[in-house]
Amino acid sequence: MAELVREIMIDATPETIWPFLTEPAKHVEWMGTVAELDPRPGGVYRVLVGGQNQSAGEYIEVVPMEKVVFTFGWEKEGNAILPGSTTVEISLHREGDKTRVRLTHRGLPDDAISDHTRGWDHYVGRLSVAASGGQPGRDTLPESH
Amino acid sequence: MITNLIRVDAALKALAEPRRRQILRLVWSQELPATGIADRFRDVTRPAISQHLAVLKDANLVTERRDGTRRLYRANTRTVAELRAFLDDYWTSGLERLRDVAEAEEARKQTRTQPKKGST
Repeated sequence: MAELVREIMIDATPETIWPFLTEPAKHVEWMGTVAELDPRPGGVYRVLVGGQNQSAGEYIEVVPMEKVVFTFGWEKEGNAILPGSTTVEISLHREGDKTRVRLTHRGLPDDAISDHTRGWDHYVGRLSVAASGGQPGRDTLPESH
Repeated sequence: MITNLIRVDAALKALAEPRRRQILRLVWSQELPATGIADRFRDVTRPAISQHLAVLKDANLVTERRDGTRRLYRANTRTVAELRAFLDDYWTSGLERLRDVAEAEEARKQTRTQPKKGST
């Protein structure tokens, strides 16, 4: 199965980063405007992004200071769009005083066609730039509205 | 970007069904008529295949072209690439913001503990 993997090095300890992943008030400092988080297996994950895009899922695994795994999808009016069909894992890897944060989004739809995906080349290119510490792109999310 | 997200939503929904992913794979590198696609799926009725194709078409994942009485289908690679790009941006910018707020928090912690180490 193909998956989307992003990594970033953060000059902070896992202890500092962890609350940003699991506490609603801290989560909205970096993603979403409203967050409802119950970080335990079966607990709810709901983050409203850009004021109207409701991401939703359920926690599968929670290991304090190490990783969270939750299902992920978007809800739309009258169209409960596959919360549950994809999975996101965010793991923290201590490296001295810093932490490498790895995000893996699994179960993406082009799994079945990744062999042929030309768009994939574009993605891999950007990943290698970011992974080698290159300057990442601008935030083009609806959150800026 | 919001319209993009809506389109991505439609694509995600369309592809949540394994059979539709198989169909998309079939027409990824070749244009096929509906009948040709249906022939590959012995266990699925022709109307069901038509239904799947309609959903894929609505989600912009395939394009449809008429040739006489035949309808030909081909994958719309742009939509799939858009989906990847969207998710890529979504998480990349998310992680960058996480880095910024976590590093700011770490710096605050450092300044709180620093004076104790010093001679005050």
